[in-house]
Amino acid sequence: MTKTINLTLKVWRQPSTESKGGFETYQASDISTDMSFLEMLDVVNEKLTMDGKEPIAFDHDCREGICGQCGSVVNGRAHGPEKGTTLCQLHMRHFSDGDTIAIEPFRARAFKVLKDLMVDRSALDKVIQAGGYVSVNTGGTPDANAIPISKEIADKAMDAAACIGCGACVAACPNASAMLFVSAKVSQLALLPQGRPEAARRVTAMVRTMDKMGFGNCSNERECEAECPKEISITNIARMNREFFKAGFFSATK
Amino acid sequence: MSWFVNTLGSSIGKKLMMAISGLSFCGFLVAHLAGNLFIYGGRDAFNSYATHLHSLGPLVTIAELGLLTMALIHVLTGATLFYENLQSRPQRYAVNKSAGGRTIGSATMPYTGAFLLLFVIFHLLNFHFVDKTHITIFDIVSKSFSHPAYVVFYVLAMIIAGIHVSHGLWSAFQTLGANHPKYMPVIMMLSLVFSLIVGIGFGFLPIYISLIA
Amino acid sequence: MHLDAKIPGGPLAEKWDRHKFELKLINPANKRKFEIIVVGTGLAGGSAAASLAELGYNVKSYCIQDTPRRAHSIAAQGGINASKNYQNDADSDRRLFYDTIKGGDFRAREANVYRLAQVSGNIIDQCVAQGVPFAREYGGLLANRSFGGAQVSRTFYARGQTGQQLLLGAYSALSRQIAAGKVQMFTRREMVDLVLVGGQARGIVVRNLITGDIETHTGDAVVLCTGGYANVFFLSTNAMACNVTASYRAYMKGAMFANPCFTQIHPTCIPVHGTYQSKLTLMSESLRNDGRVWVPKTAGDKRSPDQIPETERDYFLERKYPSFGNLVPRDVASRNAKEQCDQGKGVGETGLAVYLDFRDAINRDGKDVIAQKYGNLFQMYEKITADNPYEKPMMIYPAVHYAMGGLWVDYNLMSTIPGLFVLGEANFSDHGANRLGASALMQGLADGYFVIPYTIGGYFAGAKLPKVSADQTEFTIAAKEADIRTKRLLSINGKRTVDDIHRELGNILWNYCGMARNDAGLTKARTLIQSLRSEFWENVRVPGSDKDINQSLERAGRVADFLEFSELMVVDALTRRESCGGHFNEAFQTEENEARRDDENFCHVAAWEYAGEGKDPVFHKEPLVFENVKLTQRSYK
Ligand SMILES: Cc1cc2nc3c(=O)[nH]c(=O)nc-3n(C[C@H](O)[C@H](O)[C@H](O)COP(=O)(O)OP(=O)(O)OC[C@H]3O[C@@H](n4cnc5c(N)ncnc54)[C@H](O)[C@@H]3O)c2cc1C
Ligand code: HEM
Ligand code: SF4
Ligand code: FES
Repeated sequence: MTKTINLTLKVWRQPSTESKGGFETYQASDISTDMSFLEMLDVVNEKLTMDGKEPIAFDHDCREGICGQCGSVVNGRAHGPEKGTTLCQLHMRHFSDGDTIAIEPFRARAFKVLKDLMVDRSALDKVIQAGGYVSVNTGGTPDANAIPISKEIADKAMDAAACIGCGACVAACPNASAMLFVSAKVSQLALLPQGRPEAARRVTAMVRTMDKMGFGNCSNERECEAECPKEISITNIARMNREFFKAGFFSATK
Repeated sequence: MSWFVNTLGSSIGKKLMMAISGLSFCGFLVAHLAGNLFIYGGRDAFNSYATHLHSLGPLVTIAELGLLTMALIHVLTGATLFYENLQSRPQRYAVNKSAGGRTIGSATMPYTGAFLLLFVIFHLLNFHFVDKTHITIFDIVSKSFSHPAYVVFYVLAMIIAGIHVSHGLWSAFQTLGANHPKYMPVIMMLSLVFSLIVGIGFGFLPIYISLIA
Repeated sequence: MHLDAKIPGGPLAEKWDRHKFELKLINPANKRKFEIIVVGTGLAGGSAAASLAELGYNVKSYCIQDTPRRAHSIAAQGGINASKNYQNDADSDRRLFYDTIKGGDFRAREANVYRLAQVSGNIIDQCVAQGVPFAREYGGLLANRSFGGAQVSRTFYARGQTGQQLLLGAYSALSRQIAAGKVQMFTRREMVDLVLVGGQARGIVVRNLITGDIETHTGDAVVLCTGGYANVFFLSTNAMACNVTASYRAYMKGAMFANPCFTQIHPTCIPVHGTYQSKLTLMSESLRNDGRVWVPKTAGDKRSPDQIPETERDYFLERKYPSFGNLVPRDVASRNAKEQCDQGKGVGETGLAVYLDFRDAINRDGKDVIAQKYGNLFQMYEKITADNPYEKPMMIYPAVHYAMGGLWVDYNLMSTIPGLFVLGEANFSDHGANRLGASALMQGLADGYFVIPYTIGGYFAGAKLPKVSADQTEFTIAAKEADIRTKRLLSINGKRTVDDIHRELGNILWNYCGMARNDAGLTKARTLIQSLRSEFWENVRVPGSDKDINQSLERAGRVADFLEFSELMVVDALTRRESCGGHFNEAFQTEENEARRDDENFCHVAAWEYAGEGKDPVFHKEPLVFENVKLTQRSYK
């Protein structure tokens, strides 16, 4: 049942944004296959600490695949090799004894490395601030059942809303494009009647901000969809494109 | 008009231009291939098709100008996108691995595209901007394809064109927002079939001509 | 000190309306002149910051994570309660109020809980208007499910990601105010102290987790929404960054801490499987709608579950509590699971687990229906354990999950420090000794959207607030102290890592201040904590520097405060000479091993006042008056 394995890690170490980084090699010994990937890093860090070295900095919080704070590129794959899985939910049973694992931060011009595997993803927040909301104040809203919404639409909106904002789509995209993330929010709100009144303004503002943040352009490579831990579909990107053209050519939005 | 520039100048707007110009090329390819099929009818059939086409006069010029505009849009926008996308990840990954999204077509668009540009220029110099007063188009073509190097180059170019549109066609639909769970698989299939038609349809011609020449 | 809860007069159902009318108002133009510090961006903090900014106040918002959207509320799975009565099953404000009071084992304030029930419906309206994609029926109306401790279906949900969707709703409202310039957002900041000027809360000290800088921020009021302290147990279902630091620092500055021993142990979590483990994963309570909990009838039965025939299984919850069955409240379910394991009937490698079996539900409704309801939870379970719950019953065991205790607040959600408000899990107010499922999300959003926007105005209208600046000595001294503390942590350079000590603290609490407690154990725990604390300050090793990102240092600061706070928990547990809800002292139980309350002597809130380093905290009591419900022995039979 419980088995242990030994691994060689090649980890990207970079003391700060300005400094030049490089790979360091560490041995991870006696790793239980029941551990999560981050628990494996914990073990390595405990050892580094006791050896008088600086532990590897990596972002994480919930460790159950929902907060979106964790994420690195493991052997060339954002969040590692398992489909629909965040790094914190990736278990060591998917690796074999003797494996060498390369661990790098998410890379994109819009995501600066802060330290080691930690990156700054605030560009994603900026995109949401540009319009990823329904402009309603607290209070004075109609009864929740006042507008029926078909189950199909509600389900589709939920599929899009499941995005955890981890940025793996950007990391995995050969062009470092944020289209999947942005389209997930645009879609969620465009599908629901509550989001329709400002749909044109929203999509225009969000796409412009996305462009300003320095993300690349989508070329429909579909790596985002394949890598997204929440399996957000690129149909959302198509929907966003439609919304964008509608807004650009047929609405009053400038 | 700032709304127009703003919309087309955005990342999605640029994609829109790529899609429309790319689709117009696909349309052109269909017409071009249909015309080329007259080659199988022999010298007279093909030459009479060519004369017929040229008798359309200004219509041809308009179509050519349209195609030229589309070509300018496609090439310039494609180059911009390529450059911007290179910039968007200044530090590359040490290990690169696909999660299964990319295809040969999608991963090579700028390169197959650039090759096609060179090819198109070469192709036009070869067959379009030549003095056709003393020689028919069929003879030009068959003379060219008597060189094996020509045949190889053309076949290769057509395979590359096939690869380009294998991604390009469905991608254009996706860009235009036409992605529906019921129809997308059909569109994907169509792209594949179309790329095969382009690759085989055009690619077999030089071989055929060199054989009968 | 007299603890005045400021509960408005009049009949229960009219108190809140009456209070809203009586609160003094701030004219819209004047709201712009106030600056409010909101610490935390979970459901409580996110909704508060957004709503206050919408009213015109200037808000500064802080969180530890890299973006406000990742606050721990994101992890809530099951759902949120509201007394909408959409299911026509006789729900009402009064019933939600009653269930919550009873679920809390009659240790919560009537007026607060009634208000919670009253605004619960507005929360759902608000969230739907924001675009929260709640589950719906084919007809297009909202769907509901049942949760523990209730016999009506009043829980609204968004698959197994309700907390995420509600938080993203609040985050979107917050983002809108950030864009509007009404909220200034400070991410990756950890509050390490509260600053009082003239006895009023007027600012905070934070550590910038990127640069390491100690920063001071001023405001006219401070609203703490920093969540619960369950991580004091090291292993809990909480996110890694959850801490008691902000609350504990406020406590040290004079805010009273109420009922710290009331912690909730959630019955359905994935069992512990190794010493390296960093956290425990919750399997939503909603699973108990269809899953049946059982153990083998004979102790030590190690056969695989499919080899154990029906007659040799003990569905102990259904057997003991026929009317609520598997849906008894959490404290009851947890304690019963522990009892079975203590009798040697536990299953799995460690013997510390019971089965949660979906076989009958799958046979009844088909695999598809079950997959639709719980697909993502089953998937998560399989990812972690590599077992397929469609074929093999889940193994579950209780784990620390939630803190009912928290900073004491009055009806206005203000602590004993004027100008310091406390919202969400960080306060003690609404759940008594045990929280019912799907009520924390409700409380967080009620506090943030519908309570603080009114009550903070009442405070501003009546308070004198002289100008303060960050150059004032109160601020410079607090910053200096924070700096000294960080430097001290870095200078110890001992032989044990922070996690190692934290894990030991967790073991002490789990063994002696966990699901069942007794005086001997609690007394022992107190001395163990004291000696662990001294060891920490002599032997901990915190690598790195204080001038950049240093995650070990962050954890060290949090664990240092846990080491102080845990003693307060134990003291509180020792002082409460009764069993109620999550606090189960073995000396106080009925013949059927249920918690035995002592309403005559302990029907109160225990509020603790900090007395200075090394001194015992001072006990204060807020008596609980029940005018609208009859105190009964809680029964779910
Ligand atoms: C796994 C799980 C599932 C749950 N499921 C449900 C459910 O289905 N239904 C339900 O009702 N309840 C559920 N709960 C409980 C509920 O999620 C929480 O009680 C509630 O979300 C707490 O919200 P909050 O806003 O008070 O705090 P949190 O969401 O914890 O937010 C705390 C905020 O404070 C910040 N913060 C903390 N300390 C500091 C500091 N020192 N300095 C600066 N910032 C700080 C954090 O960054 C964060 O932004 C669940 C809890 C868990 C653990
Ligand atoms: C026969 C000629 C050509 C045809 C039929 C064609 C067709 C297409 C189509 C349909 C697309 C997809 C647009 C989208 O994804 O929305 C495309 C994309 C592209 N084309 Fe072409 N193209 C041709 C020639 C060229 C040439 C000459 C270049 C040279 C620069 C080029 C470069 C590109 C690039 C770089 C893309 C990818 C753009 C992106 O998705 O970011 N193509 N092409
Ligand atoms: S779309 Fe997927 S990969 Fe991108 S941020 Fe959202 S969850 Fe992460
Ligand atoms: S740590 Fe929260 S998603 Fe991985």
